[in-house]
Amino acid sequence: MDFEFLKNKRLLIVDDEQELLDMLVSILNTEGFNNIATAGNVKDALDLAESYKPELAILDVMLPDGDGFSLMEQLKQKGSYPVLFLTARGEDEDKFKGFGLGADDYVVKPFLPKELVFRIMAILRRTYKNENPHVKLYGSEIDFDRAEITKNGEHIALTAKEHSILSVLYRNAGRIVTTDSLCEAAWGENPFGYENSLMAHIRRIREKIEQNPSHPVSLITVKGLGYKLVLKETI
Amino acid sequence: MKSIPKLIRRFTSIMLLSFILIIILNIVLLYIYTSNQKPNSSPWETAEEVANSLKYNGKEYILPAGILLELESSGIWAVFIDNNSMQVVWHTDNLPGTVPMSYSVSDIAHLVRGYIDGYPTFTGETGNGLVVLGYPQNSFWKHMWPSWDYNLIANLPKTILLFLLINILLVFIIYITTNSNLLKSVKPIIEGIQSLPLKNHVYVKEKGLFQELAISINKTSEILKSQDRQLQRKETARANWIAGVSHDIRTPLSMIMGYASQLEENTALTDNTRQKAAIIVKQSSRIKSLVNDLNLASKLEYNIQPVNLEKENITTIVRQAVVNFINMDIEHQYPVEWQTAGNLNTCFVYADKNLLKRAISNLMQNSISHNASGCKIYVNIIAEKGYCTVIIADDGTGATKEQIKKINNSPHYMVCDENTTEQQHGLGLLIVKQVAAAHNGTFTVSSSPYGGFSASLSLPVV
Repeated sequence: MDFEFLKNKRLLIVDDEQELLDMLVSILNTEGFNNIATAGNVKDALDLAESYKPELAILDVMLPDGDGFSLMEQLKQKGSYPVLFLTARGEDEDKFKGFGLGADDYVVKPFLPKELVFRIMAILRRTYKNENPHVKLYGSEIDFDRAEITKNGEHIALTAKEHSILSVLYRNAGRIVTTDSLCEAAWGENPFGYENSLMAHIRRIREKIEQNPSHPVSLITVKGLGYKLVLKETI
Repeated sequence: MKSIPKLIRRFTSIMLLSFILIIILNIVLLYIYTSNQKPNSSPWETAEEVANSLKYNGKEYILPAGILLELESSGIWAVFIDNNSMQVVWHTDNLPGTVPMSYSVSDIAHLVRGYIDGYPTFTGETGNGLVVLGYPQNSFWKHMWPSWDYNLIANLPKTILLFLLINILLVFIIYITTNSNLLKSVKPIIEGIQSLPLKNHVYVKEKGLFQELAISINKTSEILKSQDRQLQRKETARANWIAGVSHDIRTPLSMIMGYASQLEENTALTDNTRQKAAIIVKQSSRIKSLVNDLNLASKLEYNIQPVNLEKENITTIVRQAVVNFINMDIEHQYPVEWQTAGNLNTCFVYADKNLLKRAISNLMQNSISHNASGCKIYVNIIAEKGYCTVIIADDGTGATKEQIKKINNSPHYMVCDENTTEQQHGLGLLIVKQVAAAHNGTFTVSSSPYGGFSASLSLPVV
């Protein structure tokens, strides 16, 4: 799975600390991002957004001439792209406010560069996933757009439930997803009591994607906790 | 106001009791007074006695000397009026000169009812005449018209009872009116005092009988309120101070962590230098979690942290916290064994999801902090006796009995009101304790059966 193209996306970073901006640019450059613009206040950010047309904005909440929440609203009026807040305000209310206004993620300072890059990649992958709908596994390929599996040259269709379960696992590829999250993805709110149904669906997905369903290598069970999707190529 | 009817009941019973006591007292007094009067209370009897003792010896009337002496010593005079002649045929020597010596029938009728010349008179009959005793003036008062309506006498017991009842009723009315007026003026005072401990703002109208009391209550309320406000202000200031410091420290810390981890991954540097950068990153992370913990702990302590309790499945929350932990543990230094029974997929409690998740990850973080070289972590959820208990145990270095006792019993330095420099345990466990308290739950630590440390967080099941 090649995500390198995502690193060509245009990023806009707004923070009032120049030194922090420098560091973020340095970190993201090292990680391979090469289209980065920065602004130190709301006014510059709005001006820059006009000409630069960012594809992801990383905003601080407290800015010298306004706050990040209203900046996000103004930016979203001009273009539809994801927004990630990077702020020293770690209160739950701030987070809820951010998410409530439509933020795509909320990272509280201080942060580890790896974590920030992971979150940026996750947002980009979610937002621009349609540009690369093919996922390669050991033994098969998933085409989320057409909701089908290609195994040994054969095309196998996915049901709606299998598709939503696999989507959640794919968005968190390489990480464990709890049974509760998977049930919620497939059956919505109040997903209690669907554990056995989930197991049945997982079995059917394995029959479709695994070369040897009794010895899975792509869809791994983590006893008692959940499942993990292992991709052929990691990010 | 439960006390008002109680007071009225009490007043009424006291009043009834006093009535009964007054009646009993009166009867007793009347008895004593009248019984003392008995020996000289019946001049009619004396007159009768004189009449019986007066003897005619054929020539004149004679009264025995004893009786005569008795009469004279009491200043009583006596006459004997003959039936036929209506003349006084015998009299004592002390007869006043103004007493007439002959009588008509109407005179007789008059003296029986009343007086002769101001002397109260009493009569005794003999076979052939009437003995009249004259007592000293002003020694008796005579009822001259001793006749009543028959019904009045016949109904006397009823009438007396009725009068008594009317009296009682009147006194009752007076009593209740005065008392209820008193109670009415006491009522706001009592209400004021009762609402003082509820910390409401209390204001009692400063007028009436208890004006001074009302003023004192209002003053007390003011003082309590201002003390409360000051305390709240102090606690908020302290929490704000901690929040401010932890906010301001975040941006510089971001830069330390950011650049250090860039250096750590820079392959152009020597392993030794990169190792040092890794240590900076690790220690910065420790400061980060310390800052986060400090902020949350102070907010929980001063009740500034909002706790949003909702019906939650504790299994889901713990599972998510554990999975987040495993997903972050890139080096697989801390394998987790999920021991919860397979059928315990739901166990509902009232909880703040984020706080509970924080408590669980603090417990897992605690195992990491004390076992730098790695350990296995065991997670179990047990539902029994109305409680849902989450147990996080490890097979690491563990703690001594003294340390465990200390963690379970002594307060953390941050919330200890005595001077102490000794650090009992990390902030992480303090937060778990506070979260448990905010959920009406309990938190205890012990030695784990796997050789290390074990912590249990119990919350009441919905």
